[in-house]
Amino acid sequence: MSLTYEESKVVKVSPKAVNDIKVMVGGQGGDGTLTVISLLARCFKEIGLYTYDSRNVLSRIRGGHADGVLRASTREILSVGDDLDVLVAFDEEAVAVARNLLVNDAVVIYDSSRGPLRKELLPAGVSLYEAKMGEIAGTELKKTLLKNTISFAILCRVLGVKDEIAQKVVRMRYQRKGGEVLEGNLKALEIGFRLADELGVATHYALPVSEPLDRIQIIGDEAIAFGFIVGGGRFYAGYPITPASEILEYLQANLPKFGGVAIQAEDEISAINMALGASLAGVRAMVATSGPGQDLMTEGVGQAAEAELPLVIVEVQRAGPSTGMPTKHEQSDVNHVVFGGHGDFPRIVIAPADATDCFYMTIDALNLAEKYQLPVFILIDQALAQNTQTVPEFDLTKVKIDRGKLLTQEQLNALPVYKRYEFTEDGVSARTIPGMPNGFFQVTGNEHNEWGFVSTDPVNRTKIMRKRMIKLEVAKADLPRGRVYGDQSARVGFISFGSNVGAVLEAMEQLKSRGITTKFLLLRTIYPLITEEVSDFLESVDVAFVVECNLTGQLRGLIRREVGYADKLIGINKFDGTSFRPKEITEQVVSRLNALSR
Amino acid sequence: MTEYFKPVTPIWCPGCGDFGVLAALKKALSELKIPPHETVIVGGIGCSGHIHNDLLVYGYHALHGRLLTTATAIKLANPKLTVIAAGGDGDGYAIGGNHFIHALRRNPSIVYIVMNNGTYGLTKGQPSPTAQVGYEGTQEIPFEPVLTALSIRSSTFVARGFSGNQPQLVYLFKEALNHANSLKGFAFVDVLSPCVTYNDTYAVWRKAVVDVNADKNYDYTDRKKAFETALSIIESGGIPTGLLYKGESKSFEQMMLHDSTPMALQNLSPEQNLEKYKQLLTRFK
Repeated sequence: MSLTYEESKVVKVSPKAVNDIKVMVGGQGGDGTLTVISLLARCFKEIGLYTYDSRNVLSRIRGGHADGVLRASTREILSVGDDLDVLVAFDEEAVAVARNLLVNDAVVIYDSSRGPLRKELLPAGVSLYEAKMGEIAGTELKKTLLKNTISFAILCRVLGVKDEIAQKVVRMRYQRKGGEVLEGNLKALEIGFRLADELGVATHYALPVSEPLDRIQIIGDEAIAFGFIVGGGRFYAGYPITPASEILEYLQANLPKFGGVAIQAEDEISAINMALGASLAGVRAMVATSGPGQDLMTEGVGQAAEAELPLVIVEVQRAGPSTGMPTKHEQSDVNHVVFGGHGDFPRIVIAPADATDCFYMTIDALNLAEKYQLPVFILIDQALAQNTQTVPEFDLTKVKIDRGKLLTQEQLNALPVYKRYEFTEDGVSARTIPGMPNGFFQVTGNEHNEWGFVSTDPVNRTKIMRKRMIKLEVAKADLPRGRVYGDQSARVGFISFGSNVGAVLEAMEQLKSRGITTKFLLLRTIYPLITEEVSDFLESVDVAFVVECNLTGQLRGLIRREVGYADKLIGINKFDGTSFRPKEITEQVVSRLNALSR
Repeated sequence: MTEYFKPVTPIWCPGCGDFGVLAALKKALSELKIPPHETVIVGGIGCSGHIHNDLLVYGYHALHGRLLTTATAIKLANPKLTVIAAGGDGDGYAIGGNHFIHALRRNPSIVYIVMNNGTYGLTKGQPSPTAQVGYEGTQEIPFEPVLTALSIRSSTFVARGFSGNQPQLVYLFKEALNHANSLKGFAFVDVLSPCVTYNDTYAVWRKAVVDVNADKNYDYTDRKKAFETALSIIESGGIPTGLLYKGESKSFEQMMLHDSTPMALQNLSPEQNLEKYKQLLTRFK
């Protein structure tokens, strides 16, 4: 049988030793680009490398440009980096999207089923391998989509990933589906290897190979969902919304194994009120949503605070306002979760920065919500929610569950009087659950007295407003502290949160190599701000760059309001729907510092 | 013994239909010997939503229109509880209309009592979705909750009472409580409960009500007949009351719960499930 493939430029190269590699796979939605990314991520893990990936998809089921970027490194990474070493492109659009990011000696693998790539699209110095992968998959395997596995084989050859590892990974992924699916993919892999031989594909990179990493690869949404289960969460309600749906899906699949339920509600209003009902009955409850859903849930947040019901709300930020860009990254709901809702009420907003944080801080959130009987937000962003990271396996023995002042029957029986909203020094009153003899309560979102009966008495109102608010002061000691990175003596600082951590840390290295030393305060509690940690940091620098993915500088505004130091704060803002690349931060810092010194 | 709250006196106007609802509910609960500490009443926003303050039960005052979602979750959290959602027609059919449809669809084993007076009393008399044409100038055709309930194929208990007919109302509440407490599903009771201040319909309703159960041949297990009967009564200017329909469909607890220990009573300590948690982690390795 003879193969049809474009005659490609056969490159003579000797493998370049690298510790860090960035690969993009791009095509149309439905081309299986993300499948190639996840297969490759698995390969890298097998050879002991850390990975980080990001996806760029449109809000539609099929079609439109879609790509995934995978980065692998010998060290832990939390950003996709600045450029691309290898591109797998299923169409010309993918090449157009990626071309400006390609390094000088990049490698491009191109599906030429619809004709060879116009050479003028590629910068000089780039090696090109092209083959009619889609057409071959269609003819030989009767399934065009298998072009993705064919491309994966060629990609592995370019990267110096051994054939056996590629095979092992394909088996691992398709074992469960078995039969035709597994066979088809294994055949596609063989075709890919054969094509690579015929094209004379060289091994361009030599990545260090060691033992498989004893780590996990997980996205933020899944780490939160898993943390919820381990933290004793048993009731979840949600409404499908990008980029929070993975939490709903994970919990629907896994919560029932632990006697819990995950409900797909008719809307977010229903979801949050269901969670309030479960909480009232004594169950650890959570909802997750994104900006538009948070709009609908906001009334319920106030109810949780007024009725003093423990509740965890995951807000996965995406590009707003309104429907905005549903699949795109942004961090523009800081104001929404910190200030959203009518009236004055206590709430806590914590912000995990990586998948490890997502796991442990979800358990923190459950404990905080129950200990202080108020709403706790877990504020993350699209990149953190959906990008896969390699992190140490979660230590389940570290998990502690604190149910606060939830009474046992014995504790209740020992009380002479039980008042649900009894005035206490820390503002937290003992809680019973329905079913307990003599634990009767009235719980309400109306203003009420200690018994839970509606009251508009000015004296009671003043006292009970303070009772609820004081909880924030008391809770401060329990809130997640920020992390400080970099050079202690540096006079240039960064303040940021969420998934920006990776890009900021790499920007700090880039700046260091340019002679600019910096330090970085990564905030993990957004509200109430732990003012001392922010002011101590700001005292120690001349200037602080507040890095955030929004137009108006919402975090910067919050710091200015709560801590001050307006003249030291400079915003680095991005709101184009993508997360920061290290270089973008570095360049802004350099130009801003130059302007300041002029 | 621990001292707890004492139920308060209702806030309703003298002659309000809701007094009749409260009296019938008290009677039904006590005749069925349902333990107060195992009873949760979720009240809505509006005059009627105060009902949970007036009985010795666990009470929750939900957000406006959100009774059913809240009550559904309480039942899932602990199916041993008697869960009653009680609110008004504005709460249930206007702002909460979406949840009404989905509660009927899900069929959770709770009792839902709507004190229906066609008006928003607390905000001083605006027309509700069930207001008669002409009330406060409304031209909109009234919503017919029993027809909606009958039209949803998973509804299992559809009834309507009148607060001016205590024996019928006590009967309907007892039937509804028995239905929900035997985990057969959603027991919906619309109660005609006039607002004497803004929409005093006592005289009109007393004349219009038709008790379908008065006909000994009425078969409340026949959904088609129930719909036909209710619709023809409405079309001839009457108001169908009584136990209109009782049927069978999987309850929400049956669909969602697979563990004998109620969620609310679970031991959450991580040690309990350590091996199972580890099992979940292997997927990410």
